Amino acid sequence: MKNILSIAIASLIIGGAAQAQKSTKLDRSIRPKATAAPVINLGTPQTFTLDNGLQVFVVENHKLPQVSFSLSFDNDPVLEEEMKGYVDITGELMRTGTKNRTKDQLNEQIDFIGASFHTGSSGIYASSLKKHQEKILEIMSDVLMNPNFKQEELDKIKKQTISGIQTSKDSPDAIAGNVISSLLYGKKHPYGEISTEKSVESITLEKCNLYFNTYMKPNIAYLAVVGDITLAEAKPLVEKYLASWQKAEVPIHKYKAPLAPEKTQVAFVHKDGSTQSLINISYPLNLKNNNPDLIKAKVLSSILGGGSTSRLFLNIREKHGYTYGAYSSITPDELIGSFNASAKVRNEVTDSAVIQFMYELRRLLTEKVTETELQDIKNYMTGTFAYSLQDPQTIANFAINIAKYRLPSDYYSTYLKKISEVTVDDIKAVAEKYIKPENAYIVVVGDKSVSEKLLPFDADNKVNFYDNFGNDYVEALKPAPDGITYKTILENAIKAKYGMPSGKALTKKLSKIKDITTKMNASIQGQTIGVTKYQKAPNKFSMVMSMGSMVIQKQTFDGTVGKVSGMQGNKTMEGKELDEMKLNAVMFADLEYDKSGYKYTVLGVEPLDGKEAYKIEKISASGDKVFDWYDVATGFQVKTVSTETNEEMGGDFTVTGIFSDYKDVNGIKLPYKIIQIFGPQSLDMEVTSIEMNTKLGDDIFK
Amino acid sequence: MSAVLFSIAIAAQAQNKIEFEQYKLKNGLNVILHEDHSTPIVAVTVLYHVGSKNEDPNRTGFAHFFEHLLFEGSENIKRGEYMKIVQSNGGILNANTSFDRTFYFEILPSNQAELGLWLESERMLHAIIDETGVETQREVVKEEYRQRFDNQPYGTFLPKLCERAFQDHPYRWITIGSLEHLNQAKIEEFREFYKTYYVPNNATLSIAGDINKPQVKKWIEKYFSDIPVGTKPMNRPTVKEPIKYKEVRDTVYDNIQLPAVMMGYHTPAQNTPDAYAVSMLAQLLSQGKSSRMQKSIVDQQQKAIFVGAFPFPTEDPGLAIMFGVTNMGVSVIDLEKSINEEIEKVQKELISEEEFQKLKNQIESEMITGNAKVEGIAESLANYFVYFGDANLVNTEIERYMKVTREDIKRVANEYFRKDNRVVLHYLPKPQPTN
Repeated sequence: MKNILSIAIASLIIGGAAQAQKSTKLDRSIRPKATAAPVINLGTPQTFTLDNGLQVFVVENHKLPQVSFSLSFDNDPVLEEEMKGYVDITGELMRTGTKNRTKDQLNEQIDFIGASFHTGSSGIYASSLKKHQEKILEIMSDVLMNPNFKQEELDKIKKQTISGIQTSKDSPDAIAGNVISSLLYGKKHPYGEISTEKSVESITLEKCNLYFNTYMKPNIAYLAVVGDITLAEAKPLVEKYLASWQKAEVPIHKYKAPLAPEKTQVAFVHKDGSTQSLINISYPLNLKNNNPDLIKAKVLSSILGGGSTSRLFLNIREKHGYTYGAYSSITPDELIGSFNASAKVRNEVTDSAVIQFMYELRRLLTEKVTETELQDIKNYMTGTFAYSLQDPQTIANFAINIAKYRLPSDYYSTYLKKISEVTVDDIKAVAEKYIKPENAYIVVVGDKSVSEKLLPFDADNKVNFYDNFGNDYVEALKPAPDGITYKTILENAIKAKYGMPSGKALTKKLSKIKDITTKMNASIQGQTIGVTKYQKAPNKFSMVMSMGSMVIQKQTFDGTVGKVSGMQGNKTMEGKELDEMKLNAVMFADLEYDKSGYKYTVLGVEPLDGKEAYKIEKISASGDKVFDWYDVATGFQVKTVSTETNEEMGGDFTVTGIFSDYKDVNGIKLPYKIIQIFGPQSLDMEVTSIEMNTKLGDDIFK
Repeated sequence: MSAVLFSIAIAAQAQNKIEFEQYKLKNGLNVILHEDHSTPIVAVTVLYHVGSKNEDPNRTGFAHFFEHLLFEGSENIKRGEYMKIVQSNGGILNANTSFDRTFYFEILPSNQAELGLWLESERMLHAIIDETGVETQREVVKEEYRQRFDNQPYGTFLPKLCERAFQDHPYRWITIGSLEHLNQAKIEEFREFYKTYYVPNNATLSIAGDINKPQVKKWIEKYFSDIPVGTKPMNRPTVKEPIKYKEVRDTVYDNIQLPAVMMGYHTPAQNTPDAYAVSMLAQLLSQGKSSRMQKSIVDQQQKAIFVGAFPFPTEDPGLAIMFGVTNMGVSVIDLEKSINEEIEKVQKELISEEEFQKLKNQIESEMITGNAKVEGIAESLANYFVYFGDANLVNTEIERYMKVTREDIKRVANEYFRKDNRVVLHYLPKPQPTN
């Protein structure tokens, strides 16, 4: 510090020195050259095998006083069918207690030593400070050898899993994942199976026990011991805790490899409220881990979409600004590999982005990559290889991969050499083999308004719609039979409700009803609310909601002025809200359907709660849409859906009304059960009484 | 990288203490060097002490925008070349922005250390800031916004929490800021921001990895010593958010299926003894399956599929956040009640010696494993130096935790985790639009 200060002072005093420095000013345009290449130490793990067949790899790394034990099973994936999800759940159950430890004891003991301990269907990862290494290994062996799965724990995990499935319905990534799995592999392949609420619900404890007892065996497992530990220490420890783990024959499963589609298809999932489209272009690839093409294919996919200097990134993000990131990958796999390219882009540029994706894929087939591009990627892959070695687990993984995929023993030690030998012709050759723009699925999750622009990318000029789980999206609506018009439906509803068709007789009957008071009990989130609705001919309306003696909200309409008052203050209705009130306040508004200014269209017949209903769309003069459903058999209106605008709730959303339990009141049939769904709130209303002609005063409506 | 030699087993000294050297260039640039030869890589990092809290309230999002903009190039690096140079030389790079700082880094093969220094010096001396770059990155940031906030379930919770928690302090906006402000900003404003904050006297160059210190020091002198000291006044907010005595509560409708509750409690700045007690309290509540909220709320009561307590360390007093997502059929009110109960329990009852020992053991383990990677070490050294004035906390911070007593945990629970000192947000599913 002192020296630096004195140099600083010296340079201030000797003014002339600055001049002299200028002539030797640094030429910043010269990029520094690399110094001599560093030596890469690729440690070779030490290995031994227990009598029960467990293969153990020990990688010493004494940088930190920490040791990890990671166990991985190498069994063929199984078809889970109607109980899809049980394999993963078995992995979770392993963490819920043993014959020697309750779940709480297990968790307490792991946390007390500050250890990490994760179980899953593919293995266990445990790590701790060196001083706790024996304790954590002992816990691992207890979990493996003394499982004690309980129904109660299974039920909890199922509930959590189902909740997770529900949240994933809003994740574009999860939706795309589901659709890709089912399209690429099909539902008869273990990779194409998708957990649903139903499949998880049906999982049994027996199934989980069976899976654990059949597949989680030492003879198909690898254990990597990594960190501040020597072979001499590790061997007796592992023997002490895992030698008595019993081996057994594990079943083998073979599957037919799925093929890429014959021609490119567009698959679309509509997700409400999307501001972005998730684009994923993918297809299955027959590419195993020991395929000699693999390294070349990895170089190829890095050039295409391996990072922020890849073609996709530079084109779609840097040149066009369509996305935050665009990537692609080629994944090898023992059953079936895959190609994948993806980006999330704003709605308006969905088709433009697909054009760029397809352009980049096709370009790999028509042009050779440049030498510079190839060299740059080789440097990058070499650098990241070195970087990956910082984690001692990498070395253990290398050894396990060699055993698992039957790779040549020098696979990783010659990895960089093999990368350096890849040529531009090799890249062209593997591109021709593995890049298939004309045999791909273009999966898009987004707003359906963009789907039409994607037609040209589909070989058959059509877009297939899917639901969140990758099933064909079925439009449930059937066309209405001939002769059914909105008039016949609405007239039928009138007849059902009032007991006679519209006409003079009905008008006369209704003219005797001067007012109606409807009392209801509503429950919302467990709270009971009293709702009283007052109607007075011809068009006065009031609704009071109260909790106990406290009025929560009151709406009034005296024929001209509408008001809302409540805990948030008072306001006078205006605009759309007032217009709607005017229409709805008419006491028997359904009789005047032709005077309301609505334009009606019969959309068809739709299944509704096990019955069939006509669906009518009505559009108001101002363009607002309402959907109404009428029971085909009884004629009654059973449902209505309209759109409300509320900025606080994020713009437009729907209000649903469901009507049932129609009962006779003075010769008119009225619904005694009404469910109103307004946002997340569902208001269940039960009518307790309906009275007519109680001589309601006008002040109620002011 | 063509000469590759293989040897058997990695020989490295058991080294628990992080050794480092620290000095300052005459233009004010702080330099921290840590030598570790176990892997032939080097992390070259620069921490600029500018984050979203230094921004003009009418121009929010600048610091984060610069995280993007400063990859656009310099007088000697053409547009788009920055990333290419790093990657084609075997490196990886990235940057991140917080309320308090922006952090840039490259991890390179160790024979490219000089390249990393040249790149960072170019960025500090004369980055290109022009219309084209600003325009491109605006679009990218907009997509980042959509991806991370709009299109992500619960993605908007942090901005919504912050804007309700802070009235006066600039933590009221989050790093990505306002897209509108970025649209309005003129090119001169970006240039001004650059000249103000991206200067050696506001930066810490922290290097860790396989380096030869005398050589690296020469290169640092070569590339950084002629970068002029910054002279423009920096906005260092001194405003203190008033102590809160009234709960703020709101409901947000989002594209989600399961309702969730988020709570932000006002808590002290990171460099205070109480911050450590707050952090241990959060740990007590949610770290590990045996932690109180995991055990009680997730496992026994099954009210949540996820619940967590997070101290959110900041340079100025900030927030500790609780976040819970309901299990099926559980109301958000019910989940909030359970979280409140856990907090009340800490407020009333002293935690047991055994539970306290568990917290200490967890901290010991974390402190050690946190130093596994060179980039992590470089970042920690810079952080400790800039925020705490002592880079050696990388070795000694654990002592600060060990000073916390059981009584302290109870005390901070009462002092900061008051209901009237928090913001509560309920996230509820937005109704589905009409077909």
